[in-house]
Amino acid sequence: MSSKKIVILYGSETGNACDYAYILSQKLNRLHFKHTICPLGDFIPSDVLECRYMFIICSTSGQGELPVNARKSSSATEQQSLWSFLKQKSLPHDLLNHLKVSFLGLGDSSYPHFNYAVRKLHERFVNQLGAIELFDRLEADEISMAGSNKGTGSGVESVYFEFERRILKLLSEKFPTRLVNGERIKRIAIDDEIYMEPSSYLMLDDELDMETSSTKPVKFKGDSSVKYGEVSKNLRITNNEHFQDVRQFTIKMKDNENYNPGDTIALYPCNTDEDVEKILKVQPEWLKVADKPLKFSNGVQNNLLEGGVIVPLTLRNLLNYQCDIMSVPRVSFFMKVWPFAVDKSRLEKGQDQLDQQREKLHQFAVDEDMQDLFDYCNRPRRSILEVVEDFLSLNLPWKYILDYMPIIKPRLFSISSGDSDPSIDLTIAIVKYKTILRKIRKGVCTNFVANLKIGDELRYKIHRNNLLDKVNCKSPFILISPGVGIAPMMSLIKSNISGNIHLFFGNRFKDSDYLYQETLEEWEKSGKINLYTAFSRDRVNSPDVKYVQDVLWKKGQELTEIIINENANIYLCGSSGKMPIQVRLTIVEMLKKWGSFADDKEAEAYLKKMEADHRYLQETW
Amino acid sequence: MTLGDRLGLILIHPAVTTVPGLLEAKKLELSKKNYVIGDQFLINKLNDNSVTLEKDKYDLIYYLTPEKVEDIKFPVKLIPVIQSALKTNGSFYGLTEAFKVDALVNGFEIVSVEDNDYHWIKKAGSANANVVQLKTKKKLGNEVKSGKLPTFKSKLPTFKKKDAGNNEQVVKLSVEDVEDDLDDDPEVSNELLSKAKFFNSLSLNQDAEIDENNLIKSTDGDGITMITCGKTNTKKRRACKDCTCGMKELEEEEIDNIRTQQDKVVQFTSEELTEIDFTIEGKLVGGCGSCSLGDAFRCSGCPYLGLPAFKPGQPISLSSISDDL
Repeated sequence: MSSKKIVILYGSETGNACDYAYILSQKLNRLHFKHTICPLGDFIPSDVLECRYMFIICSTSGQGELPVNARKSSSATEQQSLWSFLKQKSLPHDLLNHLKVSFLGLGDSSYPHFNYAVRKLHERFVNQLGAIELFDRLEADEISMAGSNKGTGSGVESVYFEFERRILKLLSEKFPTRLVNGERIKRIAIDDEIYMEPSSYLMLDDELDMETSSTKPVKFKGDSSVKYGEVSKNLRITNNEHFQDVRQFTIKMKDNENYNPGDTIALYPCNTDEDVEKILKVQPEWLKVADKPLKFSNGVQNNLLEGGVIVPLTLRNLLNYQCDIMSVPRVSFFMKVWPFAVDKSRLEKGQDQLDQQREKLHQFAVDEDMQDLFDYCNRPRRSILEVVEDFLSLNLPWKYILDYMPIIKPRLFSISSGDSDPSIDLTIAIVKYKTILRKIRKGVCTNFVANLKIGDELRYKIHRNNLLDKVNCKSPFILISPGVGIAPMMSLIKSNISGNIHLFFGNRFKDSDYLYQETLEEWEKSGKINLYTAFSRDRVNSPDVKYVQDVLWKKGQELTEIIINENANIYLCGSSGKMPIQVRLTIVEMLKKWGSFADDKEAEAYLKKMEADHRYLQETW
Repeated sequence: MTLGDRLGLILIHPAVTTVPGLLEAKKLELSKKNYVIGDQFLINKLNDNSVTLEKDKYDLIYYLTPEKVEDIKFPVKLIPVIQSALKTNGSFYGLTEAFKVDALVNGFEIVSVEDNDYHWIKKAGSANANVVQLKTKKKLGNEVKSGKLPTFKSKLPTFKKKDAGNNEQVVKLSVEDVEDDLDDDPEVSNELLSKAKFFNSLSLNQDAEIDENNLIKSTDGDGITMITCGKTNTKKRRACKDCTCGMKELEEEEIDNIRTQQDKVVQFTSEELTEIDFTIEGKLVGGCGSCSLGDAFRCSGCPYLGLPAFKPGQPISLSSISDDL
């Protein structure tokens, strides 16, 4: 019985598109519409043949591209993604004419390339490959200045709910009945007060002896591409006085594996024992089963396959390694858990307080105006753990935990070590910040990294990006990287990709966060690289330049010459936001001023050509 | 052959003879499952047409090969032949996901409950969903037929009912609950057959890709659905990562103000704290009574904003909230 006839696909940067997709998925489930939901990048191209209804929710990355999880498969294998398959020139114009499709784009019109991703998808799917659009696409704007909610003063969520209403109406009208035991009955939605049991859930495994299960070291099974390594270095490389803790973090591979400059590593973080202990204690039914062996009632769910499933399977291990209890809860979390707000035994004001909590959680789950949820969770970056601690009426059944709890996702880091070095070097900025919550917020993965000791084991996967396949290494390289953007540049330089490298490196202060200072200055001395630095908050050591783009401009004439006459490659890496835009503008201005083009248009066309020829590469996050 | 026995066919890869006992073991296994192996043929006989198969004859066809699962080669032109030789709902074992497209375009359905039970099933020829028999492991009960779930309260959410004892309710949705009556027109199936070839050559060829930039038309922004009613408000914006407009400073100021406010309430010594019962209304702050309930219920100017909900009779635990940057 195929479930791929109806498919929800999402491309998500920050998780919003993903959450809307899961909200839609819940609504379809309640109407008994079986379907598949996954990131656009993980959908197998040939499954398109089975699909009849495809609903796509997609945000746009900073540069107008599809988000990574829409472009690429999350598995480390070279599985071709649907998007790269559909971009092939040779496809016929009616390839998708069996497919009905609807699009929702999430964007922010204060950035350029507003909703480019969904427009690209729309153009290719509908206009070029013949998919049938169920209704005109929706484009949501964060600031309601453009798109579907232009001038309405309504937020992105109201655009989503319009999308949802249309889809549910359409499907319900087309399929007003359903078959149960061969009998045709009216299709009626299951009440939202009822929790829908997932197809597989956890249960106690009486066959396994507890002793053996709790003493074994943990392993992950089911994903053969997962690798293990040992921490061999975890060194803070910014001055202790400096606010930002940046680590040089080295992993010794257990099984050597090839990689190239530009490749990334996915690290699988886990939660701290203290946080796990807290949630076990705050949930009345959890602690007593925490270390008992568990099994799945009906096999492992798909969303656990990537990265593998923990063995031995216990609640404590799941909370430690798989359940993202420190993430900020999404609407879909509240949709699932609010029916479990039933316990008044721990509430000082009894039934009144229970009703109050239940109503509040329900409101977070269904309110189309998400302002309260936003103020309570998103703004202060409140974790699921903290929500559960605040709402003592929640009595969550552990057996469904993998259904309502988000799964910890691996985080990607650029590799800093040279070609296939068995010690993988990473450059990691530890994330910490203040919100109104008393407790300092910490990034789940970087906090995990910060606490690792030499000799600790960790789980990873190398993702191949084939950066150098497209690049002409005989030409000079202009590397531009403020801050931790230096990470992949270190790999390129160590791998000796070129004898002609110009590195533009920006930091705040020369004495506090000048990463890899000694190494870089040595390389400059030995002629391995030409180094140009900028220190944005350091007037003494960087009197006339603030940012990397200022040094670029200063060296503009020289650089323009090697760009035009020697076909230099430009590789830009670092934080997204204004930096990549400023750098690009600077390069356009350089080309205009020193490039002897007939007019501005030609200079801009030249840069576009560079991008098309993979001579202007950018990796920003 | 007794009643209830089902007729099977084994197709054999020529190299099966290199693994003694393989064939016998398979036959034994199938006979335990009440299959009578009526025929066995070498696959190459079928391939060169020296053997032909009767239509709708077998309940099961098993392709036996000593090849590694990932290396299995099979002449795909035989897949329709096998389909035709199977009875409706008959099973075909032995090929892998690599042949999925051919399976689907030839009217098979793929079943993989567990890894070692991967097989294909010949779907009914007709697109009439009414005749499709649905296996049902779990019966949902009367509620399904009446279209109503009996455990429902009349209206949700009924918070006013004090002693309704908000018990959570769980409904089980088994795979079998969901029918598959979104079936195709025969036309569509034929079309898919011709499309399958594009999906077979999944070789990544960078050069043959279209240029994404050309997908953006200047008319974009036209042809979109405008929403008509928006009940929601635009959220307070958050400052960008590299904010220069001053918003970030405002946000930081707000955060600092609230944290300073917190300092006033948490900077008691633990001794002092034990003397304050936060749960007594009006004891420390005004009489709204919501201070102990947590941020979700606190007023916007509440001095406890950002602190956890308090437990009855207990002071704020400093150890749970103190932390350094």
